[in-house]
Amino acid sequence: MGTVIEYLHKAFDIVDGEPKFVLEDVNLKVQDGEFICILGKSGCGKSTLLNLLAGYLKPDKGRIVLNGEEIDGPSADRGVVFQQHALFPWYTVRENIEFGLRLQKRQDTKEMATKLIEMIGLQDYEHAYPVELSGGMAQRVGIARALAPDPAVLLMDEPLGALDALTREAMRQELIRIWQLSGKTIFFITHSVPEAVYLADRVVILKEGRVEADVAIDLPRPRNMRDKAFQDYVDSFARMIAETETEERAVCAE
Amino acid sequence: MCRMKDMSYVDELYIAPCVQGDLLEEEEIVPRKYEEARRAKVDKFYKALALFYFFCIWEFISYLNVRGGWFNPVFLPSPVTVVETAYEYLLNGTLVLHIGMSFYRMILGFLLGVAGALVVGIMIAMSRTWDNLLSPIINMVGPIPVFAFLPMFLIWFGIGEASKIALIAYATFVPMLIYIIGGIRETDPLLIRSAKSLGATSFQIFTKVILNSAMPKIFEGMKMSLALTFSALVVAEMMGASSGLGYIIVNAKNWFKMADMFLAATLIGLEYTLFYAFLTLVERRLFRWKMAGSSNAVEK
Ligand SMILES: Nc1ncnc2c1ncn2[C@@H]1O[C@H](COP(=O)(O)OP(=O)(O)O)[C@@H](O)[C@H]1O
Ligand SMILES: [Mg+2]
Repeated sequence: MGTVIEYLHKAFDIVDGEPKFVLEDVNLKVQDGEFICILGKSGCGKSTLLNLLAGYLKPDKGRIVLNGEEIDGPSADRGVVFQQHALFPWYTVRENIEFGLRLQKRQDTKEMATKLIEMIGLQDYEHAYPVELSGGMAQRVGIARALAPDPAVLLMDEPLGALDALTREAMRQELIRIWQLSGKTIFFITHSVPEAVYLADRVVILKEGRVEADVAIDLPRPRNMRDKAFQDYVDSFARMIAETETEERAVCAE
Repeated sequence: MCRMKDMSYVDELYIAPCVQGDLLEEEEIVPRKYEEARRAKVDKFYKALALFYFFCIWEFISYLNVRGGWFNPVFLPSPVTVVETAYEYLLNGTLVLHIGMSFYRMILGFLLGVAGALVVGIMIAMSRTWDNLLSPIINMVGPIPVFAFLPMFLIWFGIGEASKIALIAYATFVPMLIYIIGGIRETDPLLIRSAKSLGATSFQIFTKVILNSAMPKIFEGMKMSLALTFSALVVAEMMGASSGLGYIIVNAKNWFKMADMFLAATLIGLEYTLFYAFLTLVERRLFRWKMAGSSNAVEK
């Protein structure tokens, strides 16, 4: 069934009597199981789009339909991973992952959580509290927690933004593995062009609240960032996002 | 670029053993965190020692006073005299009664105050209507010193236990309310969003997220309010009581029994310290998740 975004408008403020649209006329059709990267520079409305998908914000005009049902508020069928891990600090790793399962009163809560903990490789830390984890570990717990209630869609707002380059690289590979295992639709927000090209089936470029481009990435996985074809994608996206040449070079280098 | 990195890496490896030669020696390694725990224990010992010295100096001054005849020794009874007085009270069986009565009033008033503040605080923090209805009144009445209400409480609740416990409860209620409302409102909205997207209902968000998040602040409030709880206890017992530590003080005043006053004051301090320590203990148990990762701002 997939996700359909139709004629989506969102404004926060009114300027000179006119609403100042952060998102304007956004249209998007996403198949089940697709990995979508939403790319754009800071302030272009990426987070706003994700918050609308999550249901934290309501559209001013237009609508988002997920599997035939219009989105109206947050629910367990859309898991969210934030840039700051947003784990419950008073729960251990295991309790955090079990949170959504317990709410569903599932019989197999324990086994499911064990599986997820094994998937993210934190068996030794299952009784640790979030304050005791490194950034990368906490983010993995965040992903496992979002996956636990088996959502149809996973929404991720720059989840790797706060990590160092090496951890980020490892997490990208892991994310692809998790995605291939779970077959979920993923909306992944990033401002890093190479990251988007590395991860996505399709890259949606947002610019000043509008969809600037919607490009399928036709590269086999696993992808190599040094391939010529990979670089071509990066260059063409950088050109679309950047306004000056210096900006363009900066965007490519990231 | 890459080469530079390699070089500096080699440099570090090369220099390190030279400059810090003793690093290579066999040595037992104790992580700083454990060292810090040991130091905290030593600190406790020193703190106990400080109390001991306080009593020693007090004893010494009263001894010098008796020898030197600076002022009437009745004004400053020595710790030994105070302990003797305590023994007298113990012998005639009233010591336990007075301590017990004070503790009973304190704990009952404190619990009622905290419970009341929880109910009202949750109402105000969770509902706009209640906030609009109650907050202006509380903001106006709250700052009035509690003891201004004592005569009114005596008239409303009578001279018995009810008026005293009501005053103590009210004295606890006012500051607690601020901490409870603050604690609830400070809940990280990101955590509420997380919980919603994991399928939590509003009620579950309240019980599993908001309460957990507000708990440390509520405990902090209990410890802070305790000082006011005890002030209210003593004042309440000084007016129209026939038992309790506050009563000992007013009664002693009438008979000029300084040692009794010192005894009562010391016992009040002791009772406060013990209850405060108890709250701290519970706090440590409950909020391990907060302490787990924490250490000094800078390791020493
Ligand atoms: N709650 C809000 N109130 C007012 N303006 C907002 C709010 N959230 C976002 N904005 C504005 O909307 C624009 C897009 O923000 P955002 O979606 O967070 O951008 P991005 O995530 O792409 O960096 C920014 O100009 C920001 O200032
Ligand atoms: Mg953002």
